[in-house]
Amino acid sequence: MIYTLRHLTTYRYARTVRYARCTLRLRPRDGGGQQVLESALTLTPTPKSRHERRDFFGLDTVSLVIDAPHRDFSVEAVSRVLVERPPPPPPGSGAAWEAVRESALAQPSLGPDGPAHFLFASRRVPLEPAVTAYARASFSSGRSAYDAARELMQRIREDFRFDSKATTVSTPLAEAFRLKAGVCQDFAHVMIAGLRGLGLPAAYVSGYLRTRPPPGRPRLRGADASHAWVALWCGPDMRWIDFDPTNDCVVRDDHIVVARGRDYGDVAPIDGIVSASGAQKLAVEVDVIPEGEAAQA
Amino acid sequence: MSAGLLSSEGAAGSSRESATREAFSAFTAGPGRPDAVRAAEDAPTRIRRWTEGYAPRSGLADELVGPDGFLRGAYPRVLERLARLEEREIAARFLAAERHIRDAGISYRVYGDQREHPWPLGSLPLVIDAADWAELSAGIVQRAGLMERIVADIYGPGRLVAEGLLPAGVVAGSPEYLRPVHGMTPPGGRWLPVYAADVGRGPDGRWRVLADRTQAPSGLGYALENRMVLARAFPDLFADLHVERLPAFFQAFRAGLAAACERSDPRICLLTSGPYSSTYVEQAALARYLGFLLVEGDDLVVRDGLLHVRTVAGLKRADAVWRRIDADYLDPLELRADSRLGVPGLLEVLRRGGVVTGNMPGSGVVESAALSPYLPGIARALLGEELRLRGPRTWWCGDPSGLAHTLDHLDALTLRPAATAVRGPERDAILAPLAFGAARERALAALHERAFDWVAQEPAPLSTMPTWQDGGLVARPFVMRVFAAGTPEGWRVLPSAFCRVAEREDGDPSEMRAGIRSADVWVLSDTPVDAPLLVHTSAPRIRRIAGHLPARAADNLFWLGRYLERAEAVIRLVQAHLGGFGEAITADPCAAEDAPTARRIRALLKEWHCVEDADLPTAALAQEALSGRAAYGSALNHVLEARRLTSSLRERLPAEAWRSLADLRDTLVFSEVFAPTEAQLRGRAERALGHLSALTGLGHENMNHGAGWRFADMGRRLERAINTCGFAASFCAETASADDLGVMLALVDSQIAYGARYLAGVSRDAVCDMGVLDPYNPRSAAFQIEAIVAHLDVLPALAADGLPEPHRRHAQTLATTFRTAEAGTIDGEALDDLASDLECLADGIARRYFPNGPDALRPEKLVGLA
Repeated sequence: MIYTLRHLTTYRYARTVRYARCTLRLRPRDGGGQQVLESALTLTPTPKSRHERRDFFGLDTVSLVIDAPHRDFSVEAVSRVLVERPPPPPPGSGAAWEAVRESALAQPSLGPDGPAHFLFASRRVPLEPAVTAYARASFSSGRSAYDAARELMQRIREDFRFDSKATTVSTPLAEAFRLKAGVCQDFAHVMIAGLRGLGLPAAYVSGYLRTRPPPGRPRLRGADASHAWVALWCGPDMRWIDFDPTNDCVVRDDHIVVARGRDYGDVAPIDGIVSASGAQKLAVEVDVIPEGEAAQA
Repeated sequence: MSAGLLSSEGAAGSSRESATREAFSAFTAGPGRPDAVRAAEDAPTRIRRWTEGYAPRSGLADELVGPDGFLRGAYPRVLERLARLEEREIAARFLAAERHIRDAGISYRVYGDQREHPWPLGSLPLVIDAADWAELSAGIVQRAGLMERIVADIYGPGRLVAEGLLPAGVVAGSPEYLRPVHGMTPPGGRWLPVYAADVGRGPDGRWRVLADRTQAPSGLGYALENRMVLARAFPDLFADLHVERLPAFFQAFRAGLAAACERSDPRICLLTSGPYSSTYVEQAALARYLGFLLVEGDDLVVRDGLLHVRTVAGLKRADAVWRRIDADYLDPLELRADSRLGVPGLLEVLRRGGVVTGNMPGSGVVESAALSPYLPGIARALLGEELRLRGPRTWWCGDPSGLAHTLDHLDALTLRPAATAVRGPERDAILAPLAFGAARERALAALHERAFDWVAQEPAPLSTMPTWQDGGLVARPFVMRVFAAGTPEGWRVLPSAFCRVAEREDGDPSEMRAGIRSADVWVLSDTPVDAPLLVHTSAPRIRRIAGHLPARAADNLFWLGRYLERAEAVIRLVQAHLGGFGEAITADPCAAEDAPTARRIRALLKEWHCVEDADLPTAALAQEALSGRAAYGSALNHVLEARRLTSSLRERLPAEAWRSLADLRDTLVFSEVFAPTEAQLRGRAERALGHLSALTGLGHENMNHGAGWRFADMGRRLERAINTCGFAASFCAETASADDLGVMLALVDSQIAYGARYLAGVSRDAVCDMGVLDPYNPRSAAFQIEAIVAHLDVLPALAADGLPEPHRRHAQTLATTFRTAEAGTIDGEALDDLASDLECLADGIARRYFPNGPDALRPEKLVGLA
């Protein structure tokens, strides 16, 4: 499947900003069943300097400095991506979760995909005994890590309520777990915390999800959103498998991966500092358009 | 500042004094021995008496007594030399040392505690002989080099992990493994310009490393301060015993950083987290000693790929940063996003090679306790050498064999987190002994699920050193932090250390806190040390305060001047009310509370928020205005503000300023149970003015007359000009009485000059001219503005276009107004206008020079998005 992705972010500041420095993480990832065919950024105002760099986890980032006074800042990222992934492995695949835990520690690698990075608490994913206990219920002795993770994903989907008002981008994991509510980011963080609590390497994946307009209705412009899910390292053979606890599915061609990191903090699409002393207003529009289907106004 | 701070400081002071008395009472009043007997003692008897009860715990190494029961190493030499002094004299010398510590304001904070504690220097130095030190030193050099190579490999080729010498989980689990640093080459080539290790002795008497400190080790400054204090107290001993000197190390360290910089005369900054850092005082001392600029994150800014300092002359390049904040806080763009201590974009500058940094961010990764079991193998692989200094035996439980050993020997091991909490009480938390109960269950559960979070270690009780207690020596546990600096000529070890010793037998001296003292460490050379006089070697040979004044320091100095001047004005007003002066011109004008002049003084005190109620009885009113805490304009509150600013200016002010300010504060605090009388209050006011003149004198005579001094002086003069206009508006009105005019003259300290100039009693215009317009009177408003213009003329301009900057034009205009005005036309309204015009000038100066000026913008985080 080929997708056209459009991600428009607009900041409006209450007072003039004279200097801004930010990092963009908006280019989808190449590899792992994905190929980026085109990718372009439109920035207003035009930055004074623009510097591209591949970060530790293999993500292409763009760093900007804007030194012209401005009240609005907008970033539009448009990409075309080919997604072609094999079907998910059948149930029962892969090694037992205890064996996965051991082999994760034995991998002699600190490369970006190495499991060692994803074993430990990170800033937004502290290890909470309650979350670990919740996850443990699916991890009976000797069970395949892949099966157990699928069950955990399914339980999160059942036990948690999708509610975009319940949490914000800065709600702590323990709070979302207590509320049993939140958005994709919260569900992903909960699942990661559970897996890591058991000693398994779990990563946070950001990207997009294909949505289907109601039958007979056109796709609305800007109606999609960025998405987040979980990757679990299932052993040296199966390696990373992506699980989407928001939708209870193993990832295939409906998901487009932008970045993989330890938690949201590693993959935030836009991060930055502005010299300002006033409120800021943020608006985001996302379109995920499968090839052959046109966006409507 | 709250009342709490003041009283708690007082409390800390008194507890310290009692501790001092305890520590040194040993010398003066031993149990049951009259002083007369003591005086007749010879040195050997004295030493016998000091050491007769000395009993180190068996199985532990001790510095004073060897396993054979005889005095070890250099101690016989040192005790013999010390015992030649009478105990009374030793006590007197130590008390002088303590007094110096208090006067110089050498202090520290306990993590999580706001109070400053006076630095607890223990009585006896730790003494190490040359051969012993040479062995330790060689081990430290090897270890420093090894650590630097491990850091370089972790952030570079990753050979150690790939070859199985270092498990990936040990690195990845360290909170100090900073992924954005991966792939960087340190500008200047060094990851660790400073390496430190906490060492003690193993049961076999050999030195061993208890912890490596590679992040931002503290203690160098305290080692230096300890030495300076003891060098003053015992100059003769230092010379006789051939104690190794310190300055060469600091010179080499500075030279090492400077050599790594691109420019030949680099600007080197010491990056601090600010006055609330637990070791701020030592950071300020080091900055002053080494000639580094002491800066906070806000003072630095990234422009055009380089790091700059905000100075009064605009942005100036920073060539090197010695950081004393944890790496994770260095750059909110790439590391901790919520950090307010760092510099956005700093890592990008590092990546491009734009600034030398010590220690490089991420260096703390090798502090991990889990690294220890792999060090011998790594040393063989990287250096082809055996590790000279071992630590206590350690097992990482993420390693299957380590876990197996731990489970088999659980009762004999201590268990602690592999990834140590960065700081706070949990640091190095030890979960042992585990033999019984719930702790064991918890430990087993932890080992079952996430074993790789834990390391097991054989118990390592600390070796002991002698300290004084109750008339003799006792053995107490200590930890010694040894420092090495990377210099162009290789690693260089400080021939001393930062030693912490517990006051009690079971104390844990791994962190500075209550019950822990520090001690100087004397390394004795076998040959005389080539330094003519100790006083000279300890004096800062390498001081070189960098050229441009940071904007923050300018801001603080300016406000320091303003607060002190305001305090002085309040005290003078109170004095006028109490009738403490003015007799030269008129009779005591204000004795009656409802005399018109007295009412005017009261109104002004109220307007300035020195008192809340202007109708109090005179003594109560004066006390409130001098030392009240409720009204923010009291003299005491201004002095406390000045003290707060001074604490972030330590490296720029003469050390005596700190003491004078403490004296000034103490003068304004009334601790008596009974309300003071007017006469007592007058006395206090006079003494307070005396301290203020001392401070002014220090500023003029002991401070380098550079930009910093100019800002302090400008603040003072601007405040004085404003206050004088206010005084004149109250006491020099067209209808002013002789009493009013007398007070005016008193407030501007000009009675005598007036009497000498005018023989015919007071006249309104003459007084107004003298107080406001006379450019020759150093107390007049006109004199102040002329001084301000002169300061601004020599301060740097931002652009070289030859046009005066707006604040300078404003100052010139004001000066012209004063120059051309006549006393007869200066009425109350004109005085008010002048005062507000002066305030505008203050704003203009702030806007131009200060980081927190009226238009200043703070960096704000972009809000996130899901």
